[in-house]
Amino acid sequence: MEYALHILVFVGIYIILAASLDLLAGHTGLLSIAHAAFYGLGAYTSALLTVKAGAPFLLGVLGGMFVAALLSLLVSLPSLRLIDDYFVIATFAFQMILFSIFNNWNELTGGPTGIPGIPEPSVIGWEVTSHLEFVVLAGVFAILAFLVVWRLTTGPFGRALHAIREDEVLAKSIGKNALRFKITVFAISSALAASAGSLYAHYITYIDPTSFTVMESILVISMVIIGGAGSLWGPLLGAFVLVTLPETLRFIGLPSAVAANLRQIIYGSLLVVMMMVRPQGLVGRYALGR
Amino acid sequence: MQLTLNVLVAASTLALMAVGFGLIFSTTRFFHFAHAVVYTGAAYLTYCGSVQLGLPLVIAVLLGVAGGVCLGGLMEVGLYRPMRGRSASALTLLIASLGTYVVLQNLVSMTWGDDVRMLQSSTVREGIEILGGRITPTSVLAIAVCVALLAVVTLVLRRTGLGRAMRAVADDAELARIRGIRADRVILATFAIGSALAAVAGILVALDVNMRPTMGMNALMLAIVAVIIGGVSSIGGIALGSLFLAAAQQVAIWQLGSQWQDAVAFAILLVFLLARPQGLFGKPLRKVAV
Repeated sequence: MEYALHILVFVGIYIILAASLDLLAGHTGLLSIAHAAFYGLGAYTSALLTVKAGAPFLLGVLGGMFVAALLSLLVSLPSLRLIDDYFVIATFAFQMILFSIFNNWNELTGGPTGIPGIPEPSVIGWEVTSHLEFVVLAGVFAILAFLVVWRLTTGPFGRALHAIREDEVLAKSIGKNALRFKITVFAISSALAASAGSLYAHYITYIDPTSFTVMESILVISMVIIGGAGSLWGPLLGAFVLVTLPETLRFIGLPSAVAANLRQIIYGSLLVVMMMVRPQGLVGRYALGR
Repeated sequence: MQLTLNVLVAASTLALMAVGFGLIFSTTRFFHFAHAVVYTGAAYLTYCGSVQLGLPLVIAVLLGVAGGVCLGGLMEVGLYRPMRGRSASALTLLIASLGTYVVLQNLVSMTWGDDVRMLQSSTVREGIEILGGRITPTSVLAIAVCVALLAVVTLVLRRTGLGRAMRAVADDAELARIRGIRADRVILATFAIGSALAAVAGILVALDVNMRPTMGMNALMLAIVAVIIGGVSSIGGIALGSLFLAAAQQVAIWQLGSQWQDAVAFAILLVFLLARPQGLFGKPLRKVAV
């Protein structure tokens, strides 16, 4: 039972990551490989604020979201004029630089040894300690993130995003400030990813750079793409499938080293197969890059 | 002087990887991420032949290069060609390629383990003294092979029918097809040549330093930086880009310490993507920015 709850916490965390990336990749057409970097920024900021400054959990979360949104400007302001795969490469570079900082700025981030002893969250007097309570907390966060994405992708704002995705020049010609939309969406998406990072840090109570590598970004991209980019439920489905499916490997009794490789092989081959057979994903209607 | 030698050694294998990637990129116009695993795969095949099967090193190297060429060719025939047939976008191809990379890299990890392996016995090799700097014989070989191969590729591109066809397809695949050039064959030849260069680069690095399953992605990222600095369209430009990048990295190692060399490389990439996405010597291949 505890095990099932543990998996559910991760489903919640990855739903936030996938939904927020879909806001960027699926709805606005900007595929980013830097999502793990923002996820990590949230985790590190939150961990440092609570461990070193003794700040409460919620302040850590907000701090992480703020730092991530701020740093997202560093990527979005200059590189949003790049299109499609050139934008992908620019975010790739940002991911590598940020990982390098997590891994090498020993005084601040603890370098490869990471930050231990991150306190369990307490939200206005509610001490979150058991797995069940964590599922509730992660659930609340996931629902909030989902609502934000839902609100932003429907209505006039969402229509503007879709217009930019389909034809940016046309969107501009009808008076939409495409750059401002993209910057806003990138900041919100990064802040949401950071909130997932805070959750992760306070759940595991220990973080190190290996959780925030390019592979993590690719995993989240796989969730969005396999579920269906640009659809409301696609990323949720993708997150659920890709978190729970590899867990079944555990029951076959594979050694953990092999299981880790096999898990990535599953992600990778699902990506390839989807791109060949159904680029729009399981429930989606929109294929990236047109 | 030592710095200059280090730059030359680093630039030579980098240039091989970058020119291979650049050739494929300029004819197919998408980021072939799985190029990285050709580099890794060739090194490990050579290891398998030379150390595990006890074949003579020359035979093992040939085996590795042949394996690399087959791997690259298979990806083109089995994956990219059918996808191009369905007019997949550059972004879809990029994602499929990323998936392929993830699968194959994990297969290498599972087969040979994640530990660092060496092709040559680990006894400390005497360096040769040249003008006050030290260099290993393998490094000298690497530089020589690099110069020779780049000269051959330049000749093939400039002087042979195949080279003309490759440049025609790179310029305008549709037009080339109308003129009776079999574009698919030409692209396959490009993949074969590019993969051979990657395989040689991987084997040289494995001979000179060591190998690990993730070596390819690191090398590919640097190669992409070199290609973008140099401009995709010319071999000379890419070679100069590699030299420039290797020099910047060696200076970074010298001034900041080796842990920051990747961060410096990607910072350079970001600067180029933003300021001059077509590179120092190139002209824009296709639309890169809005």
